[in-house]
Amino acid sequence: MGRTVFVMAILLMFAAISLVTARYQSRQLFIEREQLVSQFNELDVVWRNLQLDRAELSRNARIDQIARDTLKMQPIAPARTIYVREAPGLPAGGG
Amino acid sequence: MRRFSFFDSPVVRVSFPTWRARLVLLVLGLAFLVLLGRAVYLQSVNREFLQEQGGKRFERTLPLPATRGKVVDRQGVVLAASIPARAVWAIPEDTKSATAQQWAKLSELLDMPEAMIKARLADDSKTFVYLRRQLSLALVEQVAALRMPGVHSLPETRRFYPEGEVTGTVVGFTDLDDLGQEGIELTYNDRLSGKPGSRRVIKDRLGQVIEDVRAVNLPVNGQDIELSIDTRIQYLVYRTLAEAVQFNEAQSASGIVVDVQTGEVLALVNFPTFDPNDRSTLRGVNLRNRVLTDTFEPGSILKPFTMGLAMALDRIDDNTKIDTGRGEVVFHGERIRDVSKNGVLNPMGIMVKSSNIGMARISQRLEAQEMWTQFTALGFGQPPVIGFPGAAAGRLRPWERWRPIEQATMAYGYGLSTSLLQVAKAYTAFARDGDMVNLTLIKRKDLPATIPVYDASVAQTIRDMLEASAGPEGAKLAQVQGYRVAGKSGTARKIINREYSQKFYRSSFVGFGPVSNPRVVVAVSIDEPMAGHYYGGRVAAPVFATVMGRTLRMLGVEPDAPFDSEVVAQTQSESGSRP
Repeated sequence: MGRTVFVMAILLMFAAISLVTARYQSRQLFIEREQLVSQFNELDVVWRNLQLDRAELSRNARIDQIARDTLKMQPIAPARTIYVREAPGLPAGGG
Repeated sequence: MRRFSFFDSPVVRVSFPTWRARLVLLVLGLAFLVLLGRAVYLQSVNREFLQEQGGKRFERTLPLPATRGKVVDRQGVVLAASIPARAVWAIPEDTKSATAQQWAKLSELLDMPEAMIKARLADDSKTFVYLRRQLSLALVEQVAALRMPGVHSLPETRRFYPEGEVTGTVVGFTDLDDLGQEGIELTYNDRLSGKPGSRRVIKDRLGQVIEDVRAVNLPVNGQDIELSIDTRIQYLVYRTLAEAVQFNEAQSASGIVVDVQTGEVLALVNFPTFDPNDRSTLRGVNLRNRVLTDTFEPGSILKPFTMGLAMALDRIDDNTKIDTGRGEVVFHGERIRDVSKNGVLNPMGIMVKSSNIGMARISQRLEAQEMWTQFTALGFGQPPVIGFPGAAAGRLRPWERWRPIEQATMAYGYGLSTSLLQVAKAYTAFARDGDMVNLTLIKRKDLPATIPVYDASVAQTIRDMLEASAGPEGAKLAQVQGYRVAGKSGTARKIINREYSQKFYRSSFVGFGPVSNPRVVVAVSIDEPMAGHYYGGRVAAPVFATVMGRTLRMLGVEPDAPFDSEVVAQTQSESGSRP
């Protein structure tokens, strides 16, 4: 009788302590997760901003202006274009 | 001496009455019973109340806002996207203790005069006053660093439109609360918005989240909308129209580019327009989407449809001779004029010379009901299904009430009204062997629905006429190097005070190309050109040519017309000069 009580008491103690540890670990993991989620959100914001920056830099109006004014480029015209037809097979060689 | 152990000592041996021990046991037992009773009371009877109170003290519901979807063009270029921003707000009474230095710094950061901020916070009875909204996170961090009493911030989102005024007409804009107000943002508000979620959490003394109480209700982010617009073509049209408005001293201009095969709208532009990033430009006139909401009497650009009908019903053929006289006839008591004296013309000649008299004569061979049925089939007088707010139906009166003169004028585009979009859509019938394609602003994943309106042979004949109309005999400014194009110019007098004005015109040009295998329909309209010229062939045709030529090149369409190549000549001369 006495021995059973003793074993039960030890088991109870063990269960109680493992409960405490499990709770502690779950808190720790939860906090870690929260931090990762907020990091994810921050990175998402950064990504969005970068995407907008890219959109801003590749804006048609900007590229058009740089091409015309800074680089002095001209719109393409058929007269200044060579139209290359896809060759039907391998070239005969020589060339 | 006899020795006793302590407990055996007769001195300490006192006998107590048994009831005393029993009493102690009873009292202790009762005490435990009371505790047990209390525990049962708290755990079962009073449980709900206590849990509720506990929840009130530590549990919080956090809203999880959904992010509004992006609007992208057909190549995935971002046209509208939301980024987190913050609103700065204040409790007027609490700000009283702020120092002068804090006030000055705040006014500098918010870019608002100090007096203006103070005026807003004058009413102490208020508990919430917005100071400035849609500020960047970095700026609000600086505001927070001031540690100014009573000044707080709230998360919100801000919408950015990288292409600004180029795509403003199509994309539209949202209000401060992220609700669509115009354009695609309004039409597809439900799909873009998404559903906000929430989570129930336990917070500790410091306000940090330590546990989720129940499963997180995740937010559903808004869907992205993929438009049929090609930003490169959109920009090209925008720039060309802006130049045309300036060059012609015009009131406004609008243009639309449609993919003939899929019915997708590749560009839809109004000028002047608004920049959705700059709220000061969001004013009445600029907001109007003229391509869709403005209806006008189309004038000559409607002639091919009447011509096509007369051909389809065999009332005329290629060789029918029609006398257009000396350029002016009286028709049911009204004068109809042509720009020039043309004498006897065949249908091709009527189209190339754009003879009003010729069209009136053709209309005599048609019934009013036949014309009405054809125009209705082409979508005139009916609201177009395009999924855009405010698309106008135009006006086409029932045929029973047409007077004979009206039937004649309708043959050449007066007496009914349409929007530019409707005209562009109707022209796809000629570009596509007689079946008209449904237009869309959303990128198509499957084949479009088409409505047959003409026989393929009739469409082919009209296509030839339209090619001649845009040729050397007709509106030659519409010609494009390297491509065969077809189209019709139109010059419509505007109605000012119920009379046709002699001064205000609307010049338009609608056409398609390349004729050998049409890819795009381009429709442009210049409103009230005042720089001397007003004929569609003079004002709108060059705009059409620029847009058509560059669009076809951007789409990589192979030229179908002969042209002199400078590059080949150069290469040959180079190779010839080699030893």
